Amino acid sequence: MRAAGLLFLKDARLLRRTPALLLVLVAYPLLVALLVALALQSDERKPDVGLVVLDTSGRSVQVGDRRLSIDDYVDRLSDDVNVRELSPEAARTALDDGRVAAVLTIPEGFIADLQSGVRPPALELTASRRSPIQSDAIERRLEAAVYRLNQSLATGYVEQVLQLVDLVTEGGELGIFGRSGDALGLRRSRELVLSVQAQLRRAGEAAAARRLAPLLNFIDETQSNLDLARPAANAIRSPIELHVSEAEEGREPLSAFGFAGALLVSLGLAGVLLAAAAMASEREEGALARLRRGLIASPALVAEKMAFTAAACLIVGLLLLGGVAIFTSLTVGRWGLWLVALILSGLAFGAFGVLAGALARETRTALLVALMLALPLLALGLLPDAEVAAAISEAVPFGPAFDAFQTLLVEPAIPAGDLTLTLGHLALLAAVFGGLATWAVSRRAAD
Amino acid sequence: MTTLGAPLLVARDLRRRYRDFTALDGVDLELRPGESVALLGPNGAGKTTLLSILAGVSRASEGTVEWAEGVAPRVGWVPQRPSLYPRLTTRENLRLFAALEGAPDPDAVAEDLIARADLGRFAGQAAAKLSTGTLQRLNLAIALAGEASVLLLDEPTATLSPDQRHRLWGWLDQLRAGGMALMFSTQSVDEAMRHGGRIAVLAAGRLVFAGSPADLLREHGIGDGAGAEAAELAFMRLVEPPA
Repeated sequence: MRAAGLLFLKDARLLRRTPALLLVLVAYPLLVALLVALALQSDERKPDVGLVVLDTSGRSVQVGDRRLSIDDYVDRLSDDVNVRELSPEAARTALDDGRVAAVLTIPEGFIADLQSGVRPPALELTASRRSPIQSDAIERRLEAAVYRLNQSLATGYVEQVLQLVDLVTEGGELGIFGRSGDALGLRRSRELVLSVQAQLRRAGEAAAARRLAPLLNFIDETQSNLDLARPAANAIRSPIELHVSEAEEGREPLSAFGFAGALLVSLGLAGVLLAAAAMASEREEGALARLRRGLIASPALVAEKMAFTAAACLIVGLLLLGGVAIFTSLTVGRWGLWLVALILSGLAFGAFGVLAGALARETRTALLVALMLALPLLALGLLPDAEVAAAISEAVPFGPAFDAFQTLLVEPAIPAGDLTLTLGHLALLAAVFGGLATWAVSRRAAD
Repeated sequence: MTTLGAPLLVARDLRRRYRDFTALDGVDLELRPGESVALLGPNGAGKTTLLSILAGVSRASEGTVEWAEGVAPRVGWVPQRPSLYPRLTTRENLRLFAALEGAPDPDAVAEDLIARADLGRFAGQAAAKLSTGTLQRLNLAIALAGEASVLLLDEPTATLSPDQRHRLWGWLDQLRAGGMALMFSTQSVDEAMRHGGRIAVLAAGRLVFAGSPADLLREHGIGDGAGAEAAELAFMRLVEPPA
């Protein structure tokens, strides 16, 4: 323990004595954090989509109180994708060349079909096979755009139907679905029938007046049913409504995700590289051979490097969190839990780095190995929804560290018990990688 | 105080194998207080492997290293490449290793070693900035930070100029005279003859000769005082089997 403490102080002194390294250790994570946060928080770039318009009728359709043409439809699509109107041949070439990620074709008679309502008009989407991920994204965007348009059209149609219901009930001038004229309306029809019945009774034609009773019943039944039409039509127009509320301050999931990702990348890289370099330099400078002559046991040496990395991660992490608390709207609460999460992450990153440092013979090789291992695993840590990626990322320190950071940023008031499993996972990985690193150090020292 | 008596250190049947390569093949050796043993052998003969095992840096595949009863197994290890922290100063290196060796007052030990190794002018200088000879003196001083009774040196003069070599041997002779046992490896037969009270010759991992310099010359048909050239001839006869 005393030997580990002496080496800890030695490492701290060497770090302090190397201002360039110290600057990199602090500035690099800050820079990475800034870049990752910006990248993760920025809007996705709209994909380029070729648009082939085969409906050249120039017609438009009146839906409710608005008129819809092809141009209106293209305008609406532009909210979701970058639309480039092309001829069919040019669109095919652009798709083959990769200049557009998909081609959307508006077929001939699109507006006419929309107007007739006999058959729903169909759009055709051809997505590039170059990038399945981008194709999926475009499909989702266009599905969403078509859904929104459908909803808007449905609203227009329902409004027209309700106008028709009002017209059937109240009567008046007809001007919907492209038709015009006068309608009598149920209310006026009822009044008319009642008036005729009264006249017939007055004229002693009671039997004839009774024969009009079924007509009166029909009018009443129809009116009752039409009274139900309005709520039913509204329900059809939007069976389920989604109310999106503005997130409370400090609970912006995208920001939390961005900063958690930034913390993971910056601390993960800095921690792993620092530990790998610290371990490999012991070996490269030749001091490891002297140390292993009973001056310090391998587990203590590994523990010292892990503790050194954890201390560095703690300081850099607190600096970054301080920046987050001061300069962003995110709320950083539960500082005690943050301390535990940063220390455990630092220990786990340190163990991972020491393992890389012990496996390599030179510091430069160790840094390269650590970087090559850490970068893809860090990326996997940021893709927690992919099943295989999540499984791999949970087997290395980056996955649980990201979970802990994200949870603490999204839920600043989270009870300590809710993080026990994640922090326990980190501690377990620190122990496992520490054990592997100890084995590697023992082997190297004996070579 | 030169006290050749009962062995301090006894190595028996030491073997070291790396997969299908045998670096050391059944070596027996003893080291007594105040004696200086020169390990001679061509490159790859197993000199460094033997010294590393005796120093506790490497483990033997087979065999034992035993210390005399009542003697604390304190070995000073001087690897061929200085084993220290280049970005620490001379004083910081000595203080750190003295503390790691468990010295009750590391500062006092460091100052004593600085004086004994004549490193006063370089005490505040980073080790990386020291000349080769000074660095080797620091390397040796660090090995002495733990009050060693046995000093193992792997080709300590290989990179030194003649004056630096002379200075280093002056200090080593003083240590030996004080009762410390030395074992050093070298590729120079002349150095082995001059500074080794006994010579052990290794070839392909086997101990092919162990005795005094005079024995080496005598056993190979060359009389005493035949000079460095004759000694080299004797050495070559040992390590190169006749065609």
